[in-house]
Amino acid sequence: MAKNTEDIIVSKDIVKNYKEDSVVVHAVRGVDFTIHSSDFAAIVGPSGSGKTTLLNCISGLDTPTSGKVWLKGNLISEMSGKQLSDLRRDNIGFIFQAYNLIPVLTVEENIEYIMLLQGVDKKERHRRVLQILEEIGLKGFEDRFPPQLSGGQQQRVAIARAMVSQPALILADEPTANLDSKTGSGLLDMMRELNEQEGMSFLFSTHDQLVMDKAKRLIVLKDGQIEKDEIKG
Amino acid sequence: MFYYMKLAWRNIFRNKRRTFIAGTAIGIGLAALIFTDALFVGMKENMIDSVTSSFLGEAQIHRENYRQTQEVEKTIQKPSEVISSLKDNEQVQHFAPRAISYAMITSPANVHSLIVYGIDPDREKSVSEIDENMAEGNYLQKETERGILIGKELAELLEVTVGDRLVVTVSQAQTGQLSQEMLRVSGIFHTYIKEMDKGMAFMKITRLQDMLGLPGGIHEVTVQFTNSDYALQKETSFTQHFSRFGNEAANWPQLMPQMIFVFQMTNFSLSIVAVIIFGVVIFGIINTLFMSLYERMFEFAVLRAVGTRPSGIRKLIIMEAGSLAVVSIIIGIILGFVLTFIMTQTGIDYRGLDFAGATMTQMLYPVMEIRQFIVHPILVFLFTILVSVYPALTAGKMKVADALRRSL
Repeated sequence: MAKNTEDIIVSKDIVKNYKEDSVVVHAVRGVDFTIHSSDFAAIVGPSGSGKTTLLNCISGLDTPTSGKVWLKGNLISEMSGKQLSDLRRDNIGFIFQAYNLIPVLTVEENIEYIMLLQGVDKKERHRRVLQILEEIGLKGFEDRFPPQLSGGQQQRVAIARAMVSQPALILADEPTANLDSKTGSGLLDMMRELNEQEGMSFLFSTHDQLVMDKAKRLIVLKDGQIEKDEIKG
Repeated sequence: MFYYMKLAWRNIFRNKRRTFIAGTAIGIGLAALIFTDALFVGMKENMIDSVTSSFLGEAQIHRENYRQTQEVEKTIQKPSEVISSLKDNEQVQHFAPRAISYAMITSPANVHSLIVYGIDPDREKSVSEIDENMAEGNYLQKETERGILIGKELAELLEVTVGDRLVVTVSQAQTGQLSQEMLRVSGIFHTYIKEMDKGMAFMKITRLQDMLGLPGGIHEVTVQFTNSDYALQKETSFTQHFSRFGNEAANWPQLMPQMIFVFQMTNFSLSIVAVIIFGVVIFGIINTLFMSLYERMFEFAVLRAVGTRPSGIRKLIIMEAGSLAVVSIIIGIILGFVLTFIMTQTGIDYRGLDFAGATMTQMLYPVMEIRQFIVHPILVFLFTILVSVYPALTAGKMKVADALRRSL
């Protein structure tokens, strides 16, 4: 069943159960929602509400127990591991709360990694890395290794890596969790700017008030179900 | 591919201490393998040398079936033609004719049965080491017609020393009648070979031929070739040429087939050592790779999340194993070279050790060969790659969401 490709993510009745110490946990209970291009949305809710599980299911990192997810019109449950990898590589950028950079690669090598997987030539990779580093205010940091950067700088590099291949959607799981409010606010402003200027969609999973304030759309999750889905004025 | 190689190489140095310990463990295994190989090559050369230089020679000519029956009548056919042919043969460096008989040797104190060899003292020097192993007295001289050489153990048994007289009794070839000679001990040899030191005596060939009633009769011709490797071939022009007139020529592997079995056993032993060492290597590598894998589960999960295919993760793990193998091989080659080189200088004293009919008569020195530093490291490398397939498959199969959740 094909879906409108302007809808980046379409999820239909997603259920995710998993076992923890022989107890079945109902993490997501029948969630329907759509992420459109240019969305700047946040899935919010307390810890254990199923935010990260939902994010994993819609990005193909996890398999729902039941329900369907379309990513840019492709039904992900019908895709092989290799096809899913390629689909994520070309359409989704990931930002995790723990910075997730490869410590043995320089800033430039970390950012260019996805482009390398996409087969972008070296010259073009270098040009785009320098351009994005300038955009995120880390020009001149390309040869540094992640441990030589502050937490905020590392998260900027992680954002740069997620953005550099110009994916349709960036999924950010608690991106400000390890940052102070000033740094977090600066990064969110930067992401919102990118959303407005480049039309890149963002979907956050968070319980940080700062992210909720900056998001244009809030999807409130409670006990694995959507309690509220609202576009802010 | 190059990117993964760079990433793999840098990854193994993230935990330098662990890489060093694992690399050293594998390196010690490789060094042990190199050393064992060198030791076995040295042992093999030593055994061949012990066998061929001490008395057997690299080839022998006998009358057909003489070796099986040891009958004294079975002397070499057309001996003068054989000798003349040996003199003209380009492959032959030295040769020595021998007359052989079972005998009884008697001293005032004791009596003992043995094999007595009639030798040409000058020619014998070039094919055996009896002259070099004289413990007391002198080797047979041209002028000492009635001299006899006996081994150290036999001298002790007979309670004789240099200059003492002994009676040698043999059975004559044609008549079967006993023939006796009183001989004087010219010298006492000590070869470390028990069979020789207790069970052999040497006298002049002409004297023994007279005693046996076989004037000019030869039972055996021992040969040394210009190139020792020549004797290792199964069929040679030498054996073909001298296996005629009712005679048979054989190279030392045919004369001592048990030695070939020993060498096969040696190769098998080396394989066992290799298997044990590779067993250690397996656990070293699997342990290191799995530790590294579980430590970096989140990182691998992130790589998978951003679009790295499972095959990419597998490649990365295999390349990390390859990088670890390179480090281990460098350590192993250095350790192996140093250890083997030291032993090639000091040697190991196995003299007197009897093994499969061959007695070590010289110090054992390991022999280094380029092959040991190429073949074994390549095997370790290939084996490491092979072993890394298991952790690589495990990493490739990981569930990204689980890995991300567990790591967080």
